[in-house]
Amino acid sequence: MSKEDEIDDRGFKRDLLASLPNLRAFAVSLTGRHDKADDLVQDTIMKAWANQTSFTAGTNMRAWLFTILRNEFYSQMRKRGREVQDSDGLFSERFSVHPEQYGRLDLQDFRKALDKLPDDQREAIILVGAAGFAYEEAAAICGCAVGTIKSRVSRARTRLQELLGVSGEGDYGPDAGDAAITSRAFGS
Amino acid sequence: MSDDKRKKEEMTAIQSSEVRPGAVPPNASISRKLRDFYDAVQEEGIPDRFLDLLERLEQAEKNAKPVNAK
Repeated sequence: MSKEDEIDDRGFKRDLLASLPNLRAFAVSLTGRHDKADDLVQDTIMKAWANQTSFTAGTNMRAWLFTILRNEFYSQMRKRGREVQDSDGLFSERFSVHPEQYGRLDLQDFRKALDKLPDDQREAIILVGAAGFAYEEAAAICGCAVGTIKSRVSRARTRLQELLGVSGEGDYGPDAGDAAITSRAFGS
Repeated sequence: MSDDKRKKEEMTAIQSSEVRPGAVPPNASISRKLRDFYDAVQEEGIPDRFLDLLERLEQAEKNAKPVNAK
């Protein structure tokens, strides 16, 4: 092995590690639970490691990893069939594992609302709104057109607003202004 | 490396161009909740099982690579 390869290998592991917390948050968002998410992340790490020669150095490793994880998620879902979704049940389990992180009722309600979105809308709003990808990158990860991602994100936002009752009524304290603007934007 | 950095800056530019400076973006409360939820998971850090796994993968690769396969 040449010196150069060694350096590349170390860089690969370092970049992979740096992406892991974000990748794992994406996995939790997709699966709705920590145990499944971590299994999914583990499968993704093994796949990524085995295919590291197919990763082009200098390109976006985070996007590459997200693509692998997403493909893995959907192929496992196809194999196993969609399991019965029980947001409340899933959530109480999550509470027993990570009570400190999910102590806020706000996040609990949000999690439930997120679980109610169709898969394509959920992944779109997570990639763009939370994971920090541009629309173009999210489109590449999901293998669809940029316009499709934009419309999924927009539909996801509308649906979340409905589910969470964000209506600009002023019951959101500091968010009241935001909500008012939101309802104006969607009112036309 | 510098290419990477430039790309990152471009990315940020693309994203921030969606939200005009000074304007409160629509859906701000939804966006904030979404990020709060996501960040809560991110802040859990990296579970030991993944560090162990990477360690083992790296070790296995070292052991199995007497010849340069590339």
